[in-house]
Amino acid sequence: MLESQSITKKFGSKTAVDQVTMRFETGHVYAMLGPNGSGKTTWMKMAAGLIKPTSGTVLFDGSPVGIESRKHIAYMSTEPYFYAWMTVKDVGKYYEDFFEDFSYERYTGLLKKMELTEEMKTTSLSSGMMAKLKIAVTMARDAMVYMLDEPFNGIDLLARDEIRACILEYASETKVLLLSSHLVEEMEAIADKAVFLKNGHLVDQVDLEEMRREKGISMADRYREIYGHEEAQA
Amino acid sequence: MIKLMKYELRKTLFVKLIVLAAAALAEIVFLIGVLGDRERMTGTGIVLLTMLAMGGIMVIGLASVVTLHRDVSTKQSYMLFMTPNSSYSILGAKMLENGLSILLAGACFFALGALDITLLFAHEKRLDALWNTIRSFLEQFNEQITLDLPTMLSLAANLICSWISTTAAMYLGVVIANALLKGKRFSGFVSFLVIVALLWLIGYVQVETLDASVSIRTAYWADTGVALGFSVVMYFLAAQIMERKLSV
Repeated sequence: MLESQSITKKFGSKTAVDQVTMRFETGHVYAMLGPNGSGKTTWMKMAAGLIKPTSGTVLFDGSPVGIESRKHIAYMSTEPYFYAWMTVKDVGKYYEDFFEDFSYERYTGLLKKMELTEEMKTTSLSSGMMAKLKIAVTMARDAMVYMLDEPFNGIDLLARDEIRACILEYASETKVLLLSSHLVEEMEAIADKAVFLKNGHLVDQVDLEEMRREKGISMADRYREIYGHEEAQA
Repeated sequence: MIKLMKYELRKTLFVKLIVLAAAALAEIVFLIGVLGDRERMTGTGIVLLTMLAMGGIMVIGLASVVTLHRDVSTKQSYMLFMTPNSSYSILGAKMLENGLSILLAGACFFALGALDITLLFAHEKRLDALWNTIRSFLEQFNEQITLDLPTMLSLAANLICSWISTTAAMYLGVVIANALLKGKRFSGFVSFLVIVALLWLIGYVQVETLDASVSIRTAYWADTGVALGFSVVMYFLAAQIMERKLSV
């Protein structure tokens, strides 16, 4: 469904993603894990077609990502990106104008769950409310791939439960859900597969159930194995 | 494309409303002057409307360039580039919306000017003196200019299309700065030099391709054609660079 082949992205002398090859299949929820600067966001932006890779390709259904893939990939950036003049309603109308798979009805339903109203100005939203709005507008699409970059950032515990429920509600056998986060415990409750990135490299790609069964370790344990030394040094 | 243009209009609406409000204010000053026989107010209104006709069109073009800069260099770029639209559509919508806005504003100011001159003639008894004042004002631009409709139209088209080509050059400069020179030192200065070089080239082609013996009207239309031709070339070049190189 979605794969990267030897993809590399350099920003000047810094290599953000280095020769990463990985594949994401339908019917799974993937956790993309790694500390800051590991390359998660850069990889997602390349898959969303926002950043051009230095070398390598990202393929969606066998074709390089581009205009066609954007019809089927719903990407949620970690940073706020709505126009300053927009209200919550304007954001929904904008998505409705450009994405055929967007349902305004579903959007208003999600807004209600998230306790947001259509009249709210995007510039007046708190960081938590903004995170909820981004989730609502992204999940109101009936996309084939959802890529959510740090969906739990700036969100309190109760709102996290709502978001987790919302994400799982739209997970299905025909979709790929890819979420990046620092909150490993949160991801453990959602994901069934995980990829670990470190300094722009793919370190591991695992099936969480298989890992628990065969090695008796959780995602958090594997995270500690990979990054523990690094974080202890930090 | 229409939907993209709708949002381009929305992004620059505030600036356009300011230009419109300023023009309305200047027109009120002019009308009070003419209808109330207050020469000073009439003069002030004429000066304000003339400045606004030129400045307003420039401001509309510059607002569009600033919007493009924001759309390729800030996080709001995601709003455009995550949608299923090519760089050609995105930039095309910007250029078309801006070109149409400039044309519409130019046409409105032209029509307003024609109406105001007619009104002024109807109220002004010293017609010859007024006529000479307007003529000498226009002769400051070119001594061949006459006050007939075809010449005025060719002059208006020339001014409007020259500004459209200037805006297109600035678009290309912004795209080069953000797609090819991003993160490099002096990227702003280099793209500024690119814009200056392009504007010089357009002017050079306009001067060099024209036979000096042609009428002023023919010269204006030829310049208009050159400006539009360059605008199209610069659009394709900028869109191509965006499509291949721009990371947001």
